[in-house]
Amino acid sequence: MNNNKREEEEHLERLWGMREAGQDSIDILKETINGVFDPRIVDELVLEGRIELTGNRIKLTKQGEDHARKVIRAHRIAERLLYDVFGGEFETGACEFEHTVTVELIDGICTLLGHPRECPHGMPIPEGECCRRSAKTAHNVVTSLTELEIGQSARVAYMNCNADRQLHKLNGLQVRPGAIVKLHQRYPCYVIECEGAHIAMDEEIVSSVCVWSDNRQFEPVEKKALELERKNSRGWGRLIFGRKKLSNS
Amino acid sequence: MKKSSNPTPVKKILIVGLPNTGKSHIFNNLTGEYALVANSPLTTIEIKRAHCRIGSQPYEVVDTPGLHSLYIHSEEELVVRDAIFSERPDVIIQSIDANRLKQSLTLTADLLTTGIPMVISLNAIDETARKGMWIDSDGLSRLLGIPVVESMAVYGHGTKELKEAVGRARAGKWEVQYGDIIENGLLSIESGLPEDLAYKGTVSLLMLMNDTFMTDYLKKEYGEVTWAKSEKEIDKVNRQYRGNISRVIINRRNKWIDDVTEKIIKKQKLAPREFSQGIARLSRHPVFGIPILLMVVFTMFYLVVNVANALAEWMNDLLWVPVENGISRVFPTGFLHDFLIGDYGVLSLGLANALVTVLPILSVFFIMFNTLEDIGYIPNLSVLTKRLLGKLGLTGNAIMPLVLGFGCKTMATLTTKTLRSRKERYIAIYLIAFAIPCAAQMGLNMSILGRMGTSAFVIAFSVLVFVEIVMGIILNKILKEEEEKIAFIQELPAMRLPNLKGIITKTYYRLYWFLRESLMVFVYAALVLFAIDKLGILDATKRMLSPIIEGLLGLPLAMVDAIILCLARHEVAAGLIINLIKKGQMDYVQCIVAVTITTMFIPCFANIMAMIKELGTRSALVMMLMINASAFAIAGALNWTLVALF
Repeated sequence: MNNNKREEEEHLERLWGMREAGQDSIDILKETINGVFDPRIVDELVLEGRIELTGNRIKLTKQGEDHARKVIRAHRIAERLLYDVFGGEFETGACEFEHTVTVELIDGICTLLGHPRECPHGMPIPEGECCRRSAKTAHNVVTSLTELEIGQSARVAYMNCNADRQLHKLNGLQVRPGAIVKLHQRYPCYVIECEGAHIAMDEEIVSSVCVWSDNRQFEPVEKKALELERKNSRGWGRLIFGRKKLSNS
Repeated sequence: MKKSSNPTPVKKILIVGLPNTGKSHIFNNLTGEYALVANSPLTTIEIKRAHCRIGSQPYEVVDTPGLHSLYIHSEEELVVRDAIFSERPDVIIQSIDANRLKQSLTLTADLLTTGIPMVISLNAIDETARKGMWIDSDGLSRLLGIPVVESMAVYGHGTKELKEAVGRARAGKWEVQYGDIIENGLLSIESGLPEDLAYKGTVSLLMLMNDTFMTDYLKKEYGEVTWAKSEKEIDKVNRQYRGNISRVIINRRNKWIDDVTEKIIKKQKLAPREFSQGIARLSRHPVFGIPILLMVVFTMFYLVVNVANALAEWMNDLLWVPVENGISRVFPTGFLHDFLIGDYGVLSLGLANALVTVLPILSVFFIMFNTLEDIGYIPNLSVLTKRLLGKLGLTGNAIMPLVLGFGCKTMATLTTKTLRSRKERYIAIYLIAFAIPCAAQMGLNMSILGRMGTSAFVIAFSVLVFVEIVMGIILNKILKEEEEKIAFIQELPAMRLPNLKGIITKTYYRLYWFLRESLMVFVYAALVLFAIDKLGILDATKRMLSPIIEGLLGLPLAMVDAIILCLARHEVAAGLIINLIKKGQMDYVQCIVAVTITTMFIPCFANIMAMIKELGTRSALVMMLMINASAFAIAGALNWTLVALF
């Protein structure tokens, strides 16, 4: 379903840039897009409810804006990282980077860099959760599968085990980097789900599976943005109706 | 290991696939034979063969235990790989559970490299549809270059198409490249391999991946010289290639699997919540799991007590009582009366015991047990019992054999092959032989104890569970630790709704096998008891054993017969105990003691053979002696405790 993820993101990214510049004409999008303008992608984005097209005017919806914010943030943070840390050529690296990283990794880098506000081009970097909480320490973006909450899913980052036999067996069960796994229970024995199959395993094995973490434990909570407050009030709803599933590609 | 080429034109079909993907179902569907099937891994543990005809072509069909990939890690998988390599099948049918297509593709990739003509049978296609998952089987067929047949093997749907596809089987497409260094290395390893070795490409790949079973085989079959040559080539590749070759090979294949599945599997974004998976989750839940287990056990108990016992009574009145009365009228007393319907009569203790007393109980119990197997409940118990068994020195891999012991102890003993540590294997075999009742024994125990009320059942089974745990702890302490611990990874079967036809077929076969194996045993056992009774040996034995039976165990002397019968088959003994209860010769405590001792006492003959096979004769005999001695000691202690309490 996400075959066009990259292209879609390029379009969203440009639309964000246009909004910053106060532009909303589809012709400008056609001219300035990074890559090839593809009317099919625009159609698809409209269908998915991420952009609105009225006549010649094109605009991000709330949903599209959220997505674009993530991509822009990743792009600009990456530029910062490459510019500040490595110096020199940063644009091409950042372009590849933005489509592959996770929110958590970006928050980690953002924290390491001290929550930069602007990219090297001087464009604003959208705030992340970490900035709102002014996190001082970057948390692990990768944690062990044992750290997940019951019922939570995550994408496997890598396998931290050197026993070939186990690695091979897990690989056969498709528990391998990139796979989505879900933790079902801890006691009396770990049960995880992967690719539609339920697997019981020892804690030792489960802890060797490292996943991209999703729990944001930014330590010092000093500023509380209003938006955050609203988010928290939805906690009860989440408790009753269950956690939203991680969308998997 | 290798066979010379077969002159007959019979072609060979090998059915392979991951555990619990329906291989035996396909085998049954193709051949019309019946191999035991269940919604559980480890159901088939030995290779089975049968013949069939598709069109005019005769085929030999070979059913194999589960295999994850050709790159193997254990002895039991080696058996299957050996079958592929040494039998040189004309066609391989890979059985794939459509729900777990992605997991199966690792094996598919391996099989494609061999160049053996293949067909894929995509089973349980009805379930994926219900889950909102759509598999483009034609697309898969085009990508792999082999026929792919959709099927619902459980119901036998798709068998016709599969048979037709076997004729179209062909070597598939395998185009994954590992880069120049590895590819050239593979070629030079391959060119150094002996001429007559089959599937050289696959063999060299396995050797490059450091498959020790393969190198051992090569050393053994073709001598050190050949191996040394290959080893040099492998070393050369390893020196040239900086990095872990196995990982690279696996990663390339994973990429291939991702590419294939991305093209052919479509998933709905919003899939219905599966009711059966909810049940599965509850059944292994730390809080709800135990009550569910108890509920299952007590449901079975009450059904055995109320339905099976009533059925047995009814059959007894209808079928046996008239016969008994008729014979009594003709031979009121005397030798023939005793021979036919006396205490050890061929008809009474032999036929009637088997057909009228034991068979109805087993029928009811097997229907329920088979339903549980069909649903896939039993393997889920491995999750609940995991921690407990860890305390008994058993790592996770011993769980499945133990759990399977509740089905058939012989099969369970044979599955301990999967355990690598000798200590663990010993403990597992011991515990299976000791206080775990097999399905038949469980049904009969329920029937016996049910006559005394639920509390008798609870007491007897608590005792059995308790002694089993204590014995495990003791064995774990006594035996010295060895080897590294092997971590536990067990795939749990998805629960599904039971299939009535399948359950009835299975119950029919289980009863048929029971009668085939043991009807004559019942008769012979009656004959032997009759003979030693007439010769006076039985009385002498009873007098000799009376301090133990009456004194220690507090049982009526007639239980000596039952214990002797246990040597033949536990079911025969159970029938006799039921008769004793009917005659009013057994009370509450005696029943509990009798059940515990017959459950723990010497396992059935087939189980003993399996123990000998897995452990060697000496170890197995020593184990049996220990089991029997502890059985008597425990039953004695139980008797005295219960007498003091009640």
